[in-house]
Amino acid sequence: MHSSRDIPLPLVLGALLLATGLGLLASTLLSPLPRGFAIAALSGIKAALLVIGFMRLQRESTMLAGALVTYAVLLSALAGLRIALAG
Amino acid sequence: MNAPTPTASLAASRPVAEGGMELLLWILVWSELVVFGALLGAFMILGLLDPPALARLHAQLDLPLAGVATATLLGSGFFAARAAFGRQPRWNLAAAGSGGLAFVALKLVAYSHEIPTLAAMESRLVELYFLITGFHLAHVLFVAAILLAVAWRPTALRVATVATIWHAVDLVWLLILPVIYLG
Repeated sequence: MHSSRDIPLPLVLGALLLATGLGLLASTLLSPLPRGFAIAALSGIKAALLVIGFMRLQRESTMLAGALVTYAVLLSALAGLRIALAG
Repeated sequence: MNAPTPTASLAASRPVAEGGMELLLWILVWSELVVFGALLGAFMILGLLDPPALARLHAQLDLPLAGVATATLLGSGFFAARAAFGRQPRWNLAAAGSGGLAFVALKLVAYSHEIPTLAAMESRLVELYFLITGFHLAHVLFVAAILLAVAWRPTALRVATVATIWHAVDLVWLLILPVIYLG
């Protein structure tokens, strides 16, 4: 059941699509340093949105869901760092 | 044996997971993320060690098509989430499964453009690219088929389980995108 605390699903989808579009734009328009930061931030936000907004399992264990988001954010940050350093 | 019947409020009437299923799902989700994380980590390291090969690979990748594929997969995840939250599970799962098949079609179109050039390149990055995206594609195809099968006879537990796995597959793609395509 959808609880009142949940983010509305269309809003989650809209935010995910917006972040995807912004990520694609950043990858073509920005220079390496801001591109790396932008892609890391947008990818981390998307991963968190997907887990919190779509995945119903996250209600069952906040700790495991938080760890999953942290892991995804870490991988996104590493991808962004590689872009920022190597272009 | 009772034949399960779809209702609009399946998930509303029962918990998401029962009898240790929750733990099994977490293990499955984490194992997917750890395996793909290791592969993506290897891709990032090889990209740092061999920037010219990474540049040659990027030159062959179709970024707009990857964007469309991402939007398709996210839309599919939206329908799977609707099903898991108890809204018309049968139709939403069918829409999610169809979205998955559309993603497979888009990726095959991308491969048909990429393979002729990339096959001529001798690079571990290219091998890793096909390993990661091909492994993910196999997951999408497999879980999309399960989504469609569950749509045929949905029960609360089946819907919650397959939707969770689908979101894990979505999440993996959201990590593949920055590492392989946007870099």
